Amino acid sequence: MEAAPPGFDYNPSAWFRRVRFSLLAATAMLIAAWMSLYQFELIGGVWDPVFGEGSEKVLTSETARQMDRWLRVPDAALGAWGYMSEAVLALVGGTRRWQHRPWMVILFGIDVILLGGAGVLLVIMQGFVVGAWCTPCLITAAISLILVYMAYDEVWACMKYLWRVWKRTRSGAKVWRVFCGYPLDVAEEAALPRGAG
Amino acid sequence: MWGRVVEIMLGLWLLLSPFIFEHWQRGETGLWVSDFASGGAIIVFAALSFWQPARFAHVLNLAVAFWLIAWGYFSGGYPSAPGYQNEILVGLVLIFFAIIPTNATQPPKAWRDYYLARAREGIGPKG
Repeated sequence: MEAAPPGFDYNPSAWFRRVRFSLLAATAMLIAAWMSLYQFELIGGVWDPVFGEGSEKVLTSETARQMDRWLRVPDAALGAWGYMSEAVLALVGGTRRWQHRPWMVILFGIDVILLGGAGVLLVIMQGFVVGAWCTPCLITAAISLILVYMAYDEVWACMKYLWRVWKRTRSGAKVWRVFCGYPLDVAEEAALPRGAG
Repeated sequence: MWGRVVEIMLGLWLLLSPFIFEHWQRGETGLWVSDFASGGAIIVFAALSFWQPARFAHVLNLAVAFWLIAWGYFSGGYPSAPGYQNEILVGLVLIFFAIIPTNATQPPKAWRDYYLARAREGIGPKG
């Protein structure tokens, strides 16, 4: 069950890789949750070693207030929710989930990419719309990009596996079955390391 | 397993929420009802999932999640009182717990049966 997918010399779904990913996502979640406490007005300030009052300017900026009006909850709380989703989805499934639960791995990949994009977008908005910088925000945005880098190999292994199932079957229905986590002999063959079977 | 446990904890949190956020001081009857009904439903669906014939019952918690988000969003208005924001955030968190399979760490049942059948035929798991 610990075997590497074809084309890999390690298992991208191994526990230590996913726990490591999850811990980093949880760190970003805690930072975002702490910033949301400031936006909830439960704490009086946010520590910023580089930009002084920059964090507070960003978190109470007109842009942040506008987002609060749209979302009904502080944007940092939504960020914490995003990082929590990454930390949780990383841990769902066994060490062969790229084969047995492709839907979860692909969903996880979409989640990670969207949050990486959201991180970049928020940094751009800080610079060009708000005109102030916030160290903890930049740290969490950097983490969201590192998370994309850390997650891509598992998603890639899963996509290559689905592609091999497609090449062997030429049947969208069968690929869909495998994607949803149902077994097929061709799928088991497509998951074997090259040279075996 | 752990997905269901977290769902039950979220359900308990909603059952406690009227007391934590003091809905009675604001006369928020709708929030009382929504918190209790949603919290109870989450716990029932999560617990039902341990019963094999109803093992997909936890997916119904997605419906509860969307209810919590929509109700919290549209009846809370702006600025939104803490009780409504609580419902929105609990609903958001519930989304990704509701999709976690109950025996998430094992392969899906269909794959387990597949390997069992092969082992019985003496093919064994290759690779």
